[in-house]
Amino acid sequence: MSDETLDVLIGVYLIPDLAKEDFDGLIKLIEDKSVTSDGVVLVSKDEQGELHVTEAGDHLGRRGATVAGGVGLVVGLFSPPLLAATAAGAAVGAVAGKFASHRIAHGIGDKMDDALPPGSAGVIAVYDHADAEGVDKALANAVRKSAAQIDKASAKELKGGLEQAAAGLAS
Amino acid sequence: MPEHAIDRTVLPIRRLPFAGVVNRTLDGCEPDWNQAKRPMPPEDAPNVLLVLIDDAGFGNPSAFGGPIETPNYTRIANEGLRYNRFHVTAVCSPTRAALLTSRNQHRVGFGLVSEFSGPFPGYNATLPRDCAPFPRVLQENGYITGGFGKWHLTPDDQQGAAGPFNRWPNGLGFGYYWGFLGGETGQYDPLLVENQKTIGVPESEDGKPYYLPDDMAERTIAWLHHVRAEEPATPWFAYVATGCSHAPHQVPKEWSDKYAGKFDQGWDALREETFARQKELGVVPADAELTERNEAFPAWDSLTETEKRLCARQMEVYAGYSENADWNIGRILDAIEEMGELDNTLVVWIWGDNGASLEGTLAGTFNELTTLNGIPLTVEQQLALALKHGGLEAWGGDQMAPHYSSGWAWAGNCPFDWGKQVASHLGGTRNPLVIRYPRKIADAGGLRSHFTHVVDIGPTILDIAGIPQPDSVDGIEQEPMHGFTFADSLSDAGAPERHTQQYFEACGNRAMYKDGWWFAQRLPRIPWEFDPDVLRHFGPGAWNPDDDPIELYYLPDDFSQARNIAADHPEKVEELRKLFWEEAEKYDVLPLLGGLSSFYGIVPPIPKESKFTYRGDIQNVPAGMIPKIYNHSYTIAADLVIPDGGAEGVIVAEADHLGGFVLFVQDGRLKHTYSMLGVFEYRQESEAPLPTGEVNVEVIFAADAPKPATGGEVTLLVNGQPVARGRMEHTVPSRFSGYSGMDIGRDNGLPVDRSYADKLPFAFTGTIKQVVFDVAPHLSDEEKEALHLHAQQALAAHGANA
Repeated sequence: MSDETLDVLIGVYLIPDLAKEDFDGLIKLIEDKSVTSDGVVLVSKDEQGELHVTEAGDHLGRRGATVAGGVGLVVGLFSPPLLAATAAGAAVGAVAGKFASHRIAHGIGDKMDDALPPGSAGVIAVYDHADAEGVDKALANAVRKSAAQIDKASAKELKGGLEQAAAGLAS
Repeated sequence: MPEHAIDRTVLPIRRLPFAGVVNRTLDGCEPDWNQAKRPMPPEDAPNVLLVLIDDAGFGNPSAFGGPIETPNYTRIANEGLRYNRFHVTAVCSPTRAALLTSRNQHRVGFGLVSEFSGPFPGYNATLPRDCAPFPRVLQENGYITGGFGKWHLTPDDQQGAAGPFNRWPNGLGFGYYWGFLGGETGQYDPLLVENQKTIGVPESEDGKPYYLPDDMAERTIAWLHHVRAEEPATPWFAYVATGCSHAPHQVPKEWSDKYAGKFDQGWDALREETFARQKELGVVPADAELTERNEAFPAWDSLTETEKRLCARQMEVYAGYSENADWNIGRILDAIEEMGELDNTLVVWIWGDNGASLEGTLAGTFNELTTLNGIPLTVEQQLALALKHGGLEAWGGDQMAPHYSSGWAWAGNCPFDWGKQVASHLGGTRNPLVIRYPRKIADAGGLRSHFTHVVDIGPTILDIAGIPQPDSVDGIEQEPMHGFTFADSLSDAGAPERHTQQYFEACGNRAMYKDGWWFAQRLPRIPWEFDPDVLRHFGPGAWNPDDDPIELYYLPDDFSQARNIAADHPEKVEELRKLFWEEAEKYDVLPLLGGLSSFYGIVPPIPKESKFTYRGDIQNVPAGMIPKIYNHSYTIAADLVIPDGGAEGVIVAEADHLGGFVLFVQDGRLKHTYSMLGVFEYRQESEAPLPTGEVNVEVIFAADAPKPATGGEVTLLVNGQPVARGRMEHTVPSRFSGYSGMDIGRDNGLPVDRSYADKLPFAFTGTIKQVVFDVAPHLSDEEKEALHLHAQQALAAHGANA
């Protein structure tokens, strides 16, 4: 299963800067090719309750405005207004990722909105199932994690995987 | 009225013999105007302000070296005296019973708390008539008496509109009372009583959230103003017992944010910092030792970063909450000063009725009722639930009912070990006391180290007021007060120490103090665990209390109980062990664990009533008096009249989103929401709108089995036809709330279901003819017995933690 399967993981954090710390750690693993990822997103909710995509990384571990096409896998799941406020948003807008057509304008964003109270943060990551242990360790500060598996060859499953992972947070 | 003519030892004071002359007509009569007067306190009797803070430790307030800024407490200490060897009983109700009656708590039925009335004299939670509280003595001697805040001395099943009221504050010496009867309340949504009436949940004004501690200070000040408007000179007695710092720890952010980052160093370092300040202040002797780390509490360094940050925030909230209490007492003091009466007021301020509370478990909890219900949550689950209910931003707000980690309580009891419930150790029994009374105190800012105890407060106040302890009250011969006056210590630092021996006992933890020696036997149990499997080790035939580990301290040389010298003094151990048993017998402490007898199969008869019918405008049924729908099948049915055009609103609701249930109509549909303490939420709703006219609705919970926290199937019915089904995997085993009540036709306070939060109280717009609970359908006798046993155990466990 591992070679053909992607994990979709959502981790939620009580402490936003610990989410950032874990996010950075995961990006480093991707850069080092210790983890094969199709994208990572750091989201946060400010004290006024606004959800933001704080940072994004692609399959090469590149982040923010420098990110190229691969960012679309995860970042593309968020609605354009949400992304517009981020550096990554510009990149997404410029280069359509291979999963851009499966962008979920509302669903996952809404679920993250429900799962995160003001002043908290979350990380969403899509990566090879074989790297699950490494990702799990990297996201050590998450107070709750929920993962789902999707078939690597079928991008259509991404939405379902994310929904499944998000549903796991609610259980 | 000539003082010699009044016999104050028999109360109420008898009418005076007529000293004038009476004739057939007024011709030649000589009046005696004393006939027209009521008894008044002796000349020069002062006003008395008695303040009791809740669930706080020796090392909390800055006046005693703690990290919490308490400028008003420090002011009173600096203008008065600090007492650094003052003791309480280690649990809420027992300390209040001992404080107000001046008798040892077991002797007045309060070996444990008012939530559990047990079958032994020391644990029946029923204040006896032969131990009249000293406020009653003051009242009968002419004082104007008022009380504000937490009471916790009325049996749980006597707090409703039907009374009886003789163990409400008005029946025990308070001419006026405003506050709450139970052991705790929400600060934003308290359920309040005034005198003998439940007045409900206050509503916010001016767009600001209601906040009980602020209102309580204002009510106290208003009462003082009213008293003085009509009684310019009569001494008053005001008892102000804050809900703070008991859970739920709730305070507006402007208070908690003052402490941002102040506790990042953790509880181990905080203890050391506090200890150093305590030595600088002199409230701890220079040669005292800081007690060693207690393995029951994790080292701060062993916590994950998330745990540290969450725990630090917990203590920031607790500190802000406590500082707010100090501020509010300061407002009362300022008002008294503005009235020109501060120097004629004896201020007695006790910081904590027991040590700081250990009941938040290791991680702290978003909802203290999870602990009180015995719901075992791991640290990871607590963190996730904290996130679910709003995270760090919500800690201290109205969406949580939080309690901090036990590690902070341990640090708050610095330099001592343990805390609340643990009567064997000073962490549970020694609290700060300050007294201000310039008419007697010449060395303002001084320190007193007399061994003093909460039962001494009443005798000391009466002594200063010049009022004798009564021999008889209401024709009932009085048991002499057990406490001793220490009034002379106010003016004389070298005054003799009268209180030379004292037993301590709570939840099986016990100690015997005599002439500086302290013998201790702690029940080998973690205080916040009330698991029957743990407690059965202490059951009949399984436990010999004399086999519990023995500790012995000599406090004159060892202020903090840092050096156990039991092995060096076997003769002293035996002497004090023997004395403890003698005292325990004398004061009704026996049987040990009498307050937890239900854990050992000693339970009251099963109630015969299983059907409860509510008609009319019924609101605010006390949390402990709602129908017991726990752990078994039940039904709730309502007869409604739905007008043309439909209706909406709450049919019946108990408590809130952190534990409760509601049956309501919204968007025309019948809905049922059940919150299992905020851990799980279950919802069912009908698809079709309710019909109009006469409608019967019903919710049936069919339990899987009659067992604690049972799961089961829920069915909603309209006119006997099922309209919705669902499952509740886990249910509340003991109690939805420590304070929030049940309402018919509305949901007072916080909502059970937030979907109607913007319409609170979401009053029903149709007509509710009646709501009927059937709480014990279809149980075998054996099942009834088993559930009844559990219910009593849960009640006892809840009570011990209250």
